[in-house]
Amino acid sequence: MVSSNDPGWNNGKDAGKDGVSRRSFMVTLGASAAAASLSQAAQAALPKGQDAQPESDVRGPGETSLTLNVNGQSRTIKAEPATTLLDALRQKMGLTGPKEICDRGACGGCSVIINGNLVASCMMLAADAEGAAITTIEGLSKDGALDPVQESFIRHDALQCGYCTPGFVMAGRALLDKKPKPTLAEIKKALSGNICRCGTYTNVFNAILEASGQPPVMDSAPGA
Amino acid sequence: MRRDDIPYSMPTTNRPRNAGSAISDDASRLDAVAKVTGQAIYSRDRYLPNSLFAGFIFCPYGKAKLESHASEAAKKIPGVVEVEISGREGQYHGHTVGHVLAESPEALRRGLAAVACKWVREPVRTKIRDGELAEPSPNAKTSDILAKADHVLEAEYETQVQTHCCLEPHGATIDHKGESATCYISTQGTFAATDGLSDAIGLPRSKYEVICEYIGGGFGSKLNGAGKEGVLAARLSAGHNRPVYLFRTREEDQTDTGNRPSGLARVKIGFTKDGTILGGLVQKFGGVGVGRGGGGMSFPSGRYNLGDIQSDHDDVRFNGGAPRPFRAPGHPQGAFCEELMLDEIATKAGVDPLALRLNLENSGARKEMLELGAEIVGWKNRAKTGSQAGVIRRGFGIGSAAWGSGQGRTDCEVVINRDGSIEARTGTQDIGTGQRTTMAIMTAEAIGVPLAFVGVRIGSSNLPVGPGSGGSVTTPSTAPVMAAAAARAREQLLTTIANLNSADASEFDVKGGEILRAGKPFMTWAQACAKIGGEQIVGRAKQGEGERGKGHSDGVQFVDLRVDTDTGVVYVDRVIAVQSCGRVICRKTAESQIIGGVIQGLSYALFENQVLDRNAGSMLNANMESYKILGPNDMPHIEPVLWTKGATGVRSLGEPPVVPTAGAVACAVFNAIGTPVRSIPLTPDKVLAALAGGGA
Ligand code: FES
Ligand code: FES
Repeated sequence: MVSSNDPGWNNGKDAGKDGVSRRSFMVTLGASAAAASLSQAAQAALPKGQDAQPESDVRGPGETSLTLNVNGQSRTIKAEPATTLLDALRQKMGLTGPKEICDRGACGGCSVIINGNLVASCMMLAADAEGAAITTIEGLSKDGALDPVQESFIRHDALQCGYCTPGFVMAGRALLDKKPKPTLAEIKKALSGNICRCGTYTNVFNAILEASGQPPVMDSAPGA
Repeated sequence: MRRDDIPYSMPTTNRPRNAGSAISDDASRLDAVAKVTGQAIYSRDRYLPNSLFAGFIFCPYGKAKLESHASEAAKKIPGVVEVEISGREGQYHGHTVGHVLAESPEALRRGLAAVACKWVREPVRTKIRDGELAEPSPNAKTSDILAKADHVLEAEYETQVQTHCCLEPHGATIDHKGESATCYISTQGTFAATDGLSDAIGLPRSKYEVICEYIGGGFGSKLNGAGKEGVLAARLSAGHNRPVYLFRTREEDQTDTGNRPSGLARVKIGFTKDGTILGGLVQKFGGVGVGRGGGGMSFPSGRYNLGDIQSDHDDVRFNGGAPRPFRAPGHPQGAFCEELMLDEIATKAGVDPLALRLNLENSGARKEMLELGAEIVGWKNRAKTGSQAGVIRRGFGIGSAAWGSGQGRTDCEVVINRDGSIEARTGTQDIGTGQRTTMAIMTAEAIGVPLAFVGVRIGSSNLPVGPGSGGSVTTPSTAPVMAAAAARAREQLLTTIANLNSADASEFDVKGGEILRAGKPFMTWAQACAKIGGEQIVGRAKQGEGERGKGHSDGVQFVDLRVDTDTGVVYVDRVIAVQSCGRVICRKTAESQIIGGVIQGLSYALFENQVLDRNAGSMLNANMESYKILGPNDMPHIEPVLWTKGATGVRSLGEPPVVPTAGAVACAVFNAIGTPVRSIPLTPDKVLAALAGGGA
């Protein structure tokens, strides 16, 4: 469902936002079919030449093991076929930076970067992420040094309760990786898959502008 | 920048008006590093080993009887531990009637589905207008005023139900360990959450701890003790002697965890030709769903001189979830009615709405703020209401707010350790306002050390008691008391040093983290702290100590927007928010508080609306893709202006900035199109209907 007042609703996400309720989808099709039914959007996130699991590769219905490459480390977990990437990260791997907020692709709080693309991890099956390079918020700062997007978020106080923040930081990073100097309009569009209930957007925009080496938006000056 | 320097001094220059307005202009929030790296652990992130997972069974309709269920079959699902049906009837969508407990989230989902409740629906009421509303009954005085007036404005203003939609849903992880328990609850009141928990958990208060280190939004909906979630999780954890994880689904959170109730105000206001308001009748209804009370609207607000107002109020019940406090309960809805009413009166009387307000304002501070805001927004560019003809029409609007400053129970302690580290402690929580940061700044300032020296511990019921985050009291409570505790710790340290030097403590001072004697550097902070006898010095203070903020926090907001008269879409371009909060502690978090209030206010004015199906009573948008919240692409430029004139003490800031916005937007839309839209959210259909309908 696209909100009429938000023309850029889905543009911020490259994958995983196909509008299908993933669980109802699974219930209808059965787990094995679902495992093979990688959405087109999620396909785009996979490396070229790597196809979805062929239909004969039946998983489940119980837990099977799968190996995910997260933040540069290969980790094997046991999960049911219907386990989302988000649940795998949070519940099986202890990576609770990505948040489950809407659980259906509408808030961006669970965003991770997969092969360079921003993905709502609640909309992707963990099994479909095998073989892909997954970066979560925990993997963004390297060797103790913060990513410039993170540092700029801190400087501009682009966070309040902080619950949406991992998703916004990942969206900002993914944007700058593709477009090193985005305009304010491009930033708004790229973030339009993310929701912040505390209302931090103004400072988020400024943080991303500055992280890309551009000046933040100036407020009025006295006497101007 | 070295990671160690983050976030103590990170200057920004994009808000020149606010430079120098705070005790700390350059500090960022102390917990920002944890939040931007994903290291901040929220209650919902507490997946403990050996946990059980619980979920509620609830009614999906406005009113229905539970005819049958398959809980026996559900119990047989592998991994399902317990299924309990505790109710037979639902009075609203989200009304809980039982729960399932399971070994894993997957088994819980299967168990909940297998319960397969069969409901028999009954007729529902879903809104205020479904109730029997009393006829307006002006008393003799009111009738007299209305009879004498040159003009009488008769209008009905309506506001919708807004859900809190906290991004971290309501819930708890309770870890009962037999003799003791740890309760990770997503709460705005770490101490209030202990209310009613002892019975559920089967332990005396001294044997369990409530922990809430981080909370993903509350806005008033997480002030109700341990909540249904905490109480059930506690009971289950006690019963099974295992950790229990219970968090609401988004659908439940949207229907059963409170809301800002809807409102309807019928006004008959008499005024003279020149716009002097004589008074009249304000008849209000609050839509409280199945709740009892809580539907009040702050209208008239008392900010304007409106003559003699007869104000009547009734709460109206229907088949919807009960309200809970929501950031300035009753105020944004009241301000919407009042501000739009003022603009309608101004237009009818041919008076500029700014001039009208300057005339009616009861506060000198807000008059000055109005003048400043008008200058920043460029009020002189405002066209007369109804004078524009193009497809795109520009509008300006004004709103205002006033908020008193209370305090909650607060004990603070400041510990100076022998190793030189400082820890400020109180058990309160930080719902995003920046509690850690403001308390650290107060501590550092009171002692005379750099901010980087100070650590803060909050979010535990085992710490000294701290206030709940409600009524905008948290910072006004904690800041002065923490400063008093810090001053006491400093005094003890200086006394220790003085005694060792057979001198008087008054000879010594601390500045920039150095000990001075008679104004000259005497020893380093570390050297001084090493002289502490025993392990540490503890300074304590309690509510009532320190410099308390007096008087009101005031705010005015100006909105500049465009309306596309072909589509009815409202595009907000700018919001100027002038706000006072007494002495500003941390510039950045104060600005964030204002911006956040404006954004929630805009979202309320333009988009948010709980839609109940009029036949089934089900909430049709109990999710986040069709319950529309303002997103990045809808954002105007928002300018927070900190008003510090005559500021003493620390006053409230959490709630006031959300109050004026919807009224200001409604006034601006009226200014643009010449017809008032008397119902929020100001969706395109209503704007087009107003345009089609002509004059009000
Ligand atoms: S939780 Fe994944 S988009 Fe909201
Ligand atoms: S900071 Fe609270 S939801 Fe964004």
